[in-house]
Amino acid sequence: MGNEGLLVVRCQLGEREAFRELVAIWHTPLWRYVRGMVGSQHLADDLAQEAWVAVVRGLPRLRQPERFAPWLYTIARRTVTDHLRQAYRAPETAMEETTTVVADDELSSVLTTMQIEAGLAALPPLEREVLILFHLEDLPLATCAEVLGVQTGTVKSRLHRARRMLRNHLAEKGYEA
Amino acid sequence: MSEQNRPAQRAVPEQLERVLATEVSLRSRLGHVAVGLAGGCGAALITVLWVTEPNPLPTRTQAVFVGLIAIGLAWAVFAGWVLSRRRPLFARDRVLSARIALAATVVTAAGGVALAAARGGTADLVATAAGGVVFTAAAMLALVRARRRRRELLRLRDALRQDAP
Repeated sequence: MGNEGLLVVRCQLGEREAFRELVAIWHTPLWRYVRGMVGSQHLADDLAQEAWVAVVRGLPRLRQPERFAPWLYTIARRTVTDHLRQAYRAPETAMEETTTVVADDELSSVLTTMQIEAGLAALPPLEREVLILFHLEDLPLATCAEVLGVQTGTVKSRLHRARRMLRNHLAEKGYEA
Repeated sequence: MSEQNRPAQRAVPEQLERVLATEVSLRSRLGHVAVGLAGGCGAALITVLWVTEPNPLPTRTQAVFVGLIAIGLAWAVFAGWVLSRRRPLFARDRVLSARIALAATVVTAAGGVALAAARGGTADLVATAAGGVVFTAAAMLALVRARRRRRELLRLRDALRQDAP
């Protein structure tokens, strides 16, 4: 289970200082996933906070601390889905928020990451999230399947389709695919 | 993505830290435990007072009793909702809360039995004692389960610490 599992167990015990360490480790991957899905940095801040609150509230009931990562992403995914659902109900504000292309990325990122992240905004949500989870968050296929609530085979086919769409999009933009 | 492609670790925003500090607050949890117990135990004692009243109470007094019992139960329900949805108890919090609950139910049961013995008949005394035993047993069960859960997590924590490099 490792150090992260230990941290989760300490949090479940109620060791308050462990929460700070847990958030310090997982905030970046969580935020990157959310930002990849919604495109806006400020919105990602809000949604990541909302997800963290849900995580803290659900943590005492998490029966398998070793499954923390998929559980965390499942909560983040639910938070993003709820937001997108509300956003689609109010299309004017939604379009403004979801199509904001991130211009304030970390400059330390290398070109390939920037290319992928820039291309993500052009993909539909299902394809976008599977690319983020598998390529940007480095989650194994089985974990992606658990987070997305689908079979591993579905993740593979979705990944294949997403890569093709991203490749086409990047080619249109003039990048080498 | 390779490690070198991964951007630097993002600092946790101060606002998020503040929100999470509130979310995990022990003081808030114990406050709700205290409010819930005070509401529930208060309602129980008022009920015993009402039931053991030797003469029929005026309507206005009965209405006041009903109001007080309803307020006590409402606080107990509200605290239960907060502790199950908004501020769930972590393992150590559960043990602490269960101890407080056991102490509160023992004191309330003793107070109720004393009231019933002084003011009511045998039937009132038996009913109050039975109620006290049930609530005390429930609090003891909650304490046993809370300690078991904490022991499980402590064992798991120690095992993981030994496995850690």
